[in-house]
Amino acid sequence: MDLIYFRGCMGRERVPEIVRATRQILDHAGVSYSILEDEECCGSVLLRTGFREDAKEKINENLNLFSDSRLLVSCAGCYRTFKIDYPRLFNVKVDVIHSSHLFYQLLEAGEIQIKGDLKVTYHDPCHLGRHCGEYDAPRKVLEAIGTLVEMEDHHMNAQCCGAGGGVKSAYPHIAEKVAQERIKQALNTGADILCTTCPFCKYNLKSHRIKVMDISEIIANLMGVPRSTKIN
Amino acid sequence: MEIIEDPMIRELKETVKNIRETSIKNLEKLLQRVGESFEDNDIEFYIAETGEEANNIIYDIVKDEKTIAKSKSNTLTEINLVKFLEKKGLEVIETDLGDRIIQLTNDKPIHPTAPALHFNMEEIADTINEKLKVKVDANPEDIMNTIKSDVLRKLEDVNVGITGANAVAAYDGSIVMVHNEGNIGLLSLKDTHIVVFGIDKLVSTLEDAISVAKLETVYATGSRVPSYIGVVSGPSKTADIQKILLKNMYGASRVVAIALDNGRRKAPPECLWCIGCGTCITSCPIYNVVGYDFGYKGYLGGRGVAFTNFIEGERASFDAGIYMCTLCSRCTTKCPLEVPIADIIEEVRCKVQRAGYKLDAHENIKRNIKETGTPFR
Repeated sequence: MDLIYFRGCMGRERVPEIVRATRQILDHAGVSYSILEDEECCGSVLLRTGFREDAKEKINENLNLFSDSRLLVSCAGCYRTFKIDYPRLFNVKVDVIHSSHLFYQLLEAGEIQIKGDLKVTYHDPCHLGRHCGEYDAPRKVLEAIGTLVEMEDHHMNAQCCGAGGGVKSAYPHIAEKVAQERIKQALNTGADILCTTCPFCKYNLKSHRIKVMDISEIIANLMGVPRSTKIN
Repeated sequence: MEIIEDPMIRELKETVKNIRETSIKNLEKLLQRVGESFEDNDIEFYIAETGEEANNIIYDIVKDEKTIAKSKSNTLTEINLVKFLEKKGLEVIETDLGDRIIQLTNDKPIHPTAPALHFNMEEIADTINEKLKVKVDANPEDIMNTIKSDVLRKLEDVNVGITGANAVAAYDGSIVMVHNEGNIGLLSLKDTHIVVFGIDKLVSTLEDAISVAKLETVYATGSRVPSYIGVVSGPSKTADIQKILLKNMYGASRVVAIALDNGRRKAPPECLWCIGCGTCITSCPIYNVVGYDFGYKGYLGGRGVAFTNFIEGERASFDAGIYMCTLCSRCTTKCPLEVPIADIIEEVRCKVQRAGYKLDAHENIKRNIKETGTPFR
């Protein structure tokens, strides 16, 4: 089955480093995939902010583009939307996999080898964790890379980064305050890196106090580099 | 071990989920049934479609009074009873300590069960000293005792006590009220006891009502039980003299129950499962940084702003912060009823948006997506 890497609006325009890293990993592992040059919005931001009719129009267009392909996404928001909202609104099943899950599969299959001695803490994106129940794959990847240390609130109890639901765009100061609370929890773990699996989270959690990285960036950085190499 | 992990409490949670889901499903039947039960129990009963209707029913009962007293109740806050009665020239005494402090400071509550959590001791002492013309040190016991004596003195001349209810048993005609301070006990012993409750508080039996009240306490306070769970199923009565029925012994001679709709029937069932424990509020990342600006009256946090839509309309839920929620669903995982708050908020946002209440930031994003396929310019 064809694999389309659906980059998502954040990946395309705000945090392209996630797309770059993800493509490096896919290429390295020999995964064949395509990119939609005319990729547009998945519909998530419209659905979350009360524009359901506009979202449905967009989703209808997207469904024609995807046909029967399998979708790979970097964004927890895209993931939830394809996984839950597309079926709910259009009674269609979308075959979608989140990048963290694919990375775990590649790791398990030996298609990528990574070793490191990083101390990492993991932020569960709400749309991946609580909404879709995906907690394990990113953690298994991180455990392979080094030491995973949990924050005070994790898995189902994880604190939100503050960006979701249109809050980042409408109330940036609130989003920022919520992010600071999460950063405090991350700092308390003593981790070198705060890892997440959603570009919205990465974008909003950005801090000068701790390095915030998408899981793809951590993997791409460590692929094929000597064991003890640290990420700056 | 956290109390909510206790196997018996977990079981209770499942029981209450079932009770609430069934009750809301059978709401109309329970509403009809409770009228019959109240009649059997000699409780006067009214159904108020709106807050205004409820206020008028109450005013009709208390219009000859100078002062009445009330307990803490989101439903009474919802209908603006205090302001309404004050406008009519009555004095209203808040008997809940936190609410009384707020009444004296003219502020608003920050938590459904701990309304005055945001004041420090000095602020409270200063207010009391100024308003009650006393000299109290900033320590909790002195503050409590001063307010207690003042309220008790005022209660001597009060004939009517007004309370809310935590659950109402339709088949038994019983009203269940949870409190720790003992104030609801005092109020229910006044000559007339008026109870106002949302129609969503109905359950089938007294056992169900107690289960709801107990679970609410566990989740609201972390204690297994409150100091008091009061049950009122009729006026005070005795038949000790030759089996002749006499009313008005120690307690109320008149009990009035008012069931309030005020838009609740328009709400999705899941929104009405709520038992009012406030767990969604304390677990909300937005509420924790924004405070009561993310809410409407006593209805705080995500569930509160969504509920606001049904009782007060699109404008009110917009003002309450319907767009402030990140839809993170942390509330739902913490909520004993697992109310799908984010889903309800998404629904409400569609209504609010269609009514023209939207934010420029979101409108721009929508336009950008339409024109260029991306939220960003």
